[in-house]
Amino acid sequence: MTMSNIARIEVRSLSGQRRDHRIAHHARQFLDIPVAAAESIAVYWIQSRSGKALHEDELNDWVHTVLVDPVIQAPIHEASDLDFSGGEREEPAFGIEVRFRPGVTDNAGRSATEAIHLVSGFARENDVQVYSGKMELLYGKVSLAHANRVGSELLGNELIEEIRSYNLNELRDNSRFIDANVPEVKLGESPQAEEINIFVADEHLERMSHKNCWALTLEELHAIQNYYKQPGILEFRKKEGLSKDPTDVEMEVLAQTWSEHCKHKIFAANIDYEEESGDYSGFYPKLGKVRIESLYKTDIKGVTKAVEEKRNLKWLISVFSDNAGIVRFDSNMDLCMKVETHNSPSALDPYGGSLTGIVGVNRDILGCGLGARPIANTDVFCFAPPNWPGKGEEKQLPKGLKHPHRILEGVHRGVEHGGNKSGIPTVNGAFVFHHRYAGKPLVYCGTIGIMPQKIMSQKTKSGTDTFVKGQAPGHHIIMAGGRIGKDGIHGATFSSMELDETAPATAVQIGDPITQKRLADFLIEARDRELFSSITDNGAGGLSSSVGEMAELTNGATIHIDRAPVKYPGLSPFELTVSESQERMTFAVPEERLDEFMELAKTRGVEATDLGAFTKDGYFRVCYGEKTVALLDLDFLHNGHPRMSLRAKWQGPEREKIWFKTPGLPKIDSKSVETRGFYEQAMFTLLSRWNICSKENLVRRYDHEVQAATVVKPFVGQAKDGPGDSSVIWLAPHGGEEFNGVAVGCGIQPRMSRLDTYLMAQSSLDEAVRNCVAAGGDPGQVALCDNFCWPDPLPSKKNPDAEHKLAQLVRACRGLYDLARLYGTPFVSGKDSMKNDFIGKLSNGKSVKISVPPTLLVTAMARVPDVRFAMTSDFKAGGDKIYLIGQSSPNMGGSELAECFDLPDSMNAQLPPKFNAHENLEVYRTLHKAIMSGLIQSCHDISDGGLLVALAESAIGGRKGVSIDLDNCHNEVVAMHGSHSAFLFNETCGRFIISVKPEEEENFKNFFESVSFAYLGEVKIDPILRVQDVGLVIVDASLSELKKAWKGEEI
Amino acid sequence: MQPKFLVLTGDGINCERETARAFQLAGAQADIVHINDLLAGGSILETYQGLAFPGGFSFGDDLGSGQVLAVKLRHGLGEKLQRFVESGAPIIGICNGFQTLVKLGLLPLPFKDRVMALAENRQTHFIDQWVDLEVCTNSPCVWTKGLIDLEEKIQLPIRHGEGRVVLLNEQEESLHSQFVSAGQFPLRYKQDVNGSYARIAGVCDPKGFIFGLMPHPEAAVSKLLYPNIDEISNRRDPSDRSDIGVGLRIFESCVNYLKEK
Repeated sequence: MTMSNIARIEVRSLSGQRRDHRIAHHARQFLDIPVAAAESIAVYWIQSRSGKALHEDELNDWVHTVLVDPVIQAPIHEASDLDFSGGEREEPAFGIEVRFRPGVTDNAGRSATEAIHLVSGFARENDVQVYSGKMELLYGKVSLAHANRVGSELLGNELIEEIRSYNLNELRDNSRFIDANVPEVKLGESPQAEEINIFVADEHLERMSHKNCWALTLEELHAIQNYYKQPGILEFRKKEGLSKDPTDVEMEVLAQTWSEHCKHKIFAANIDYEEESGDYSGFYPKLGKVRIESLYKTDIKGVTKAVEEKRNLKWLISVFSDNAGIVRFDSNMDLCMKVETHNSPSALDPYGGSLTGIVGVNRDILGCGLGARPIANTDVFCFAPPNWPGKGEEKQLPKGLKHPHRILEGVHRGVEHGGNKSGIPTVNGAFVFHHRYAGKPLVYCGTIGIMPQKIMSQKTKSGTDTFVKGQAPGHHIIMAGGRIGKDGIHGATFSSMELDETAPATAVQIGDPITQKRLADFLIEARDRELFSSITDNGAGGLSSSVGEMAELTNGATIHIDRAPVKYPGLSPFELTVSESQERMTFAVPEERLDEFMELAKTRGVEATDLGAFTKDGYFRVCYGEKTVALLDLDFLHNGHPRMSLRAKWQGPEREKIWFKTPGLPKIDSKSVETRGFYEQAMFTLLSRWNICSKENLVRRYDHEVQAATVVKPFVGQAKDGPGDSSVIWLAPHGGEEFNGVAVGCGIQPRMSRLDTYLMAQSSLDEAVRNCVAAGGDPGQVALCDNFCWPDPLPSKKNPDAEHKLAQLVRACRGLYDLARLYGTPFVSGKDSMKNDFIGKLSNGKSVKISVPPTLLVTAMARVPDVRFAMTSDFKAGGDKIYLIGQSSPNMGGSELAECFDLPDSMNAQLPPKFNAHENLEVYRTLHKAIMSGLIQSCHDISDGGLLVALAESAIGGRKGVSIDLDNCHNEVVAMHGSHSAFLFNETCGRFIISVKPEEEENFKNFFESVSFAYLGEVKIDPILRVQDVGLVIVDASLSELKKAWKGEEI
Repeated sequence: MQPKFLVLTGDGINCERETARAFQLAGAQADIVHINDLLAGGSILETYQGLAFPGGFSFGDDLGSGQVLAVKLRHGLGEKLQRFVESGAPIIGICNGFQTLVKLGLLPLPFKDRVMALAENRQTHFIDQWVDLEVCTNSPCVWTKGLIDLEEKIQLPIRHGEGRVVLLNEQEESLHSQFVSAGQFPLRYKQDVNGSYARIAGVCDPKGFIFGLMPHPEAAVSKLLYPNIDEISNRRDPSDRSDIGVGLRIFESCVNYLKEK
């Protein structure tokens, strides 16, 4: 048989191993399509790129040694091999083929190519390339329209994948094997750099900015014009063979560097803040009329400086200057932390977006100081409820938006793959659900890293400080890791624009965890041999940002962009310079280490390329062949953008704004709100809420204990299914002190935002600290990371309430400042994302804008001085005494209960609960000491849902019962204006449920003398949760009912 | 003499550090060696008494877990590996390392036709959970001897997406009884956790030197890493948690075997 240079091979599981795929289940559940069963077949296209025909024998050998596991799979070389007579099932109705579009990262294809090259000289000589895909067979009464929907809504994403359906006859037809083709990138000659005339009318200039995805404002464009008009610049450019007009490379470098994503212009802006006069009942702090010169400097960095000075902190090693903040909680090792968001990419391709989010933030850690090893990931997602829109509600979701369940599924799978395949445990996170995340989901990915304080190689006897970067003029600029492609062009500027239906496909990428793992392993090895002097990652803005930033220290850099390795030819100089293709780090390598560096890279299978050198002439220069294609004054590049001046005006608390008519919440009157019926109904409703229920089936798909150092895991207790407040990582396995550890927790309270972002920010910060303290973290040693995700606060025609949203930002920053200062908890790193809006249309043609609620994630890392005393939330033994610690205050504003019911006025659902931060700090300090002295048996922080939910969770974790009498805590109930409902369900910050052994009770009371606490009742062996009021039962539920409500059905 | 183990790394292996640490805690020397150094460097393997394939995601599990790593080792190491195996040197493969041993054709019968595979879990996805295990008392496995008379419950974490043991189609029962009588299934899950045939969690070769298992003993070397404080002492007593964990017994078993040999 003569063969062409392209072969198609399908790999099918053997009869008996063909398993029902989750696709069938999802098709029925989410699309209401009667797929009875589904079967996934792997597809490979093997191409000899030299054009030489493939040999049949050799091909067979590859198939059997590389592509197939003979015990469970068989290859299919032609359609007639595809046997549907196995008797297991009827014939499939359709097959849906999905494969990547040209140029999209294809990990399985890459691995198969590598394996075939290992075994075959022919493959190496003829540049054999493998492309992967899959064919999903759908069984049952499925129509073509059904099949197409399954294809585009469950199996593939047309932005990055080609989707094709085959009916049964086509499946039996051999032409897909005979006429196989491959998704190869075919570009023409590499385009050259072009000059761009920017000396045109403003209107034209603005159009250019939008068309080219520069996202530059008119003011910024004018600043660029002025730069090019300077006589000194003109003269120098002339000397270097450049005209008066900027090149496209220069405009792109400026646009990336000046993007909101990279420069955080809103946080750097001058802001005039004022607030609408009004009576906010003393609940919302008045800030008055203030002028702020950079929120970042005055509030975020400002509070860190204030805390550092006030507490004379010695453990802040590097804050706000590197890729991640570095702290010293151990005598051998330093820790660093960073949290990023990847919202826009996740909206377009949930899987690729979150995967690149997690491997991207890993690179921040790898590129911190002289390189740190990631030891833990965190992830927090904000989505619309995944069961919405349900049947009959489809029209509520604007056109072009993905169904929330699909976003959840994809984002979750992306983080799962990104973390698991990199060997980094995912230890902490949260899921937050609200309809206003339908337009842009929020995907926060964080990483904790560890580095030795000093590198002790043979080169330097005294050791080199690991946190200090040391690039110098003359050091080589080496790019290592992945190659450059068209993927990821304009990520930085794109994320600085709101989302509409015209999003560019190049902004989406798929990550390649294995290329990155090789790079990471190499990097740590090279660090420990001191083969480089500095390192940073290639993230937003690509080389233009990484080299541009590193050049600030030496005052100059020159790169030869034509030397950069490419995924395929045909990229223009500007694309090479700003592409954000993944898995790349930039190193500074001194001349004398260059050979050793390159040799090690080679033996570790890491591609490294010498692109140029750092200079000290004050310029960032990009050369392409003989020509200089970009020459930018470094000072102008980094500091030349005009500072924005903005106005902010707070309008007071808002009502909930949803773009579609929601069915009203069940109305509860002031009488029924204080009945047993309501308490029990509310408890079960809360336990099963998306924001509260167990996410165990999602979280267990993350590896949370690789690296063998996770002491407190995400799930705790007797059946390992109780909620952990924060995870604890043991540092000894990472080179730290014997029993030293850190707790990692987070706080996120967007429900509070519409009332007041000042309080929202404080609630978030308090929750993050509280979570850590509950697990054994020391409140005196907490490092924080802030991540703001805001609706657009810049004024425009499309954005009439920008001033209010900016005011909300100011209030959030002030809230953080005030509480962080009081708690003495510095921020060490942070990030903001300021365009979380979607503008589109509903199916009736009506325009709709969906903005996220102002959302702030605070991530906390606290030292746990002795991990043997790490604490968990589950009740431990019958007879243990249960106490409430911390002060409760009335009001249900921002509570989960207020999201479930239309509460009577007596519950004050429009007012937030007050909390006393001084008292909270005292509680945290006392509790920490008690935990570290072994006095406490269990500790659970009270958050979403309030006291009763926390009790139920501790009971579930411990498989124990609870017996409470509210008469024991009469004073607390009185403080809630006598409302049991308010006592059981309010969410005041700073409170915990703890249990102690009966014989320790007196000891406990003495210990907690200086703070508020109240006796509640006892842990019971009998698995019943019972609350009484002076002997009258007001809540009675079995543990199995509670478990059913909380653990619920599969998500 | 302190036995010396080679712990393999590279290409997406990611449990090499905790695996090396486990050997060290068990009293052995353990060196982490990059696969490319092992394949390039003449006779590195001969200088070691034992070999460990740690867990991880070699080549991203693309084309099936352990598949590409096995291809690379078979082609790069070939006879050297065969000689090492035939010398009776102990070899352990954990999780992805187990998958690699199976794909290499070292388990359950070295250098014979493949009769076993590790397929996708019954749940069709990755899962991280601690599981209870039972140990086979008549196994020749040098790695599990120390578990046999242990008073403590044997619990280890599983962290995999493809850990379901499958025996050759239509020969399951005869193969199973053959391997059972040879003691080649030293570890079984107490409950069905992933759909594995007869709850098989670990497999050894007929001589008991080569051992592959899906659970991660290197992640259970200390009781501090156990998932549930309550289970250890029923009442919370922090001092109980500094004890060694059941996972370390597996490494100790082999190290002791080599020391006594």
